[in-house]
Amino acid sequence: MNYARLLAVTDREFQTVVRTRAYAVLGLGFFVLVVAMAWTSGASGYAPLTLDLLTPTEVLVPALAFAFGYRSILGDEQRGELDVLRTYPVTRWGYVLGVYLGRAAALLLVVLVPLLVAAVFPPLVGGVQSSVIASHAGADSVFLYLRFVVLTAVFTLVVLAAALAVSAGASSTRAALALGVTLLVALIVGLDLGIVAGLASGFVGEGALVYTLAFSPNSAFRGLVLETVVSAVTAPGVRAAAPLANVVGLITWFVGALLVAIWTVWEDVTGP
Amino acid sequence: MTDESNETRNAETGDESNETRNAETGDESNEEMHDEASDTRRDESRSESDETASDDQVATMSEPADADVESDQTTRRQLEDGRESVIDVDGVTHTYGDVTVLEDVSFTVPSGSVTALVGPNGSGKTTLLRIVGGLMRSTAGRVDIGVDVPRPIGYLPQDPDFRPVFTVRETLAFYADLIPHEVDVDAAIEEVGLTAASDRRVDALSGGMRRLLGIAQATLGDPPLVLLDEPTGDLDPRMTEYIFEVVEDLSGEGTAILLATHNLSGAERADDLLLIDRGSMVATGPPADVVAEAGADSLKEAFLTLVGAEGGLTVRTGREESP
Repeated sequence: MNYARLLAVTDREFQTVVRTRAYAVLGLGFFVLVVAMAWTSGASGYAPLTLDLLTPTEVLVPALAFAFGYRSILGDEQRGELDVLRTYPVTRWGYVLGVYLGRAAALLLVVLVPLLVAAVFPPLVGGVQSSVIASHAGADSVFLYLRFVVLTAVFTLVVLAAALAVSAGASSTRAALALGVTLLVALIVGLDLGIVAGLASGFVGEGALVYTLAFSPNSAFRGLVLETVVSAVTAPGVRAAAPLANVVGLITWFVGALLVAIWTVWEDVTGP
Repeated sequence: MTDESNETRNAETGDESNETRNAETGDESNEEMHDEASDTRRDESRSESDETASDDQVATMSEPADADVESDQTTRRQLEDGRESVIDVDGVTHTYGDVTVLEDVSFTVPSGSVTALVGPNGSGKTTLLRIVGGLMRSTAGRVDIGVDVPRPIGYLPQDPDFRPVFTVRETLAFYADLIPHEVDVDAAIEEVGLTAASDRRVDALSGGMRRLLGIAQATLGDPPLVLLDEPTGDLDPRMTEYIFEVVEDLSGEGTAILLATHNLSGAERADDLLLIDRGSMVATGPPADVVAEAGADSLKEAFLTLVGAEGGLTVRTGREESP
């Protein structure tokens, strides 16, 4: 599958999202929420703003990614278009990658634009404490916040890959919703609760905690934000995460989810 | 089938249409995220394609070539009647556990012909089309395609649908972009008579117009074999007639058509007939020959004679292996 065909699939996905009102409503809702939180929090700097937005981002971005991705492949299957596509010179990986790139482009716009708009609020509405920014310019700067935005983009791409795996593996909308909700609950609270339970039972040692957190995309994302954004303006000595383990964890989820999507999208009947 | 004229058809509705053959419009409908009406439509095919093949399967289905090839490089077999075979199906058998859905099915489809696949519900027609189209493996047997082109087979699934937010032209343009060589999308639209509806969104098309869009899609890239699964199912007689005329035109241009249908008057117009029952071929040949061999006066009578005496109330579910 060459570049032109990959681009055709990508463009089809992007245009589908752009032309579907439900996605626009979701995007608008996320924009209003993020901007409202940034405005009303009165964050006096970019590190506080990051902390204010971190938890909502952890919850809302997976929900958005699922909403944007869960019907992408499943819809083609239900309409019979997957069977049609298979009569063209389209490979499984080319189709899945094209779908992923198209949806990712649209989702990144929806997620990142509000976060970038939120960056204007600390200097505007941060109150008298905003003057602190000047005296701590080396530590708390907009560049730290941009790190949070970049990490959010990476987190978005990872959870969208998981949503695509659900879309490829599910055989009906009901199954996709069930799988998606299960995945969302696992990402937002389930995996963390499992780690806490492991810690309480002694199965996970205190020293291994920061590494175990890398198993959860949400925890890995949170750990990277705390380590690379917030720790820059806090006292040294407190280790919030293992950055390398978190990066490996996110990459594993990303690659693994896309491989699952490619493997399950349709049966390869050309092989032995 | 006769080679009908290449007149421009118009399946349009409303003021633009002054043709004798036109189709009704559909209602404005939902968008992609709400498109859940066909929630379970594909479940069956998904479970079918999850079936694994046995080791002794010989699959010679050509993988779509990925080169900028425009010529039809063929190794087609010459048939006894002088026609060239586009596809040879030899001894195809398919089972689900103990249930045999297809058993030792063999036939050829000559180029420029229409072959109608008829049989009771559950007799294995869709399974056979999916195996021929390379969409699922057979348990045994082989399917040989004597062509090496980027898109050897076009396919219209049962009850086809497309993304509702795109127009007819955009939908076909997308599929055309997947073919390595230049494809004339407007010609494909004109071929099925959707020219006046080319800028209409898919969710504003009637069921018949969606079938026509599906047929146009199936012919993109000039595949030498086009598979049509129930192209006239649940359509009114006028649209049914129109679709069979489109099929005749396509075969007149050299395309081999293999269509599964319950419409016996349409099947009667085909060049060849494949009558399948309980997964086995019970009659093959020109429709007139099948009728004559059955000692019947019509294809309907021949159908009822050949598929058994239990009448039309029994739904076929394959043939269970005896222990």
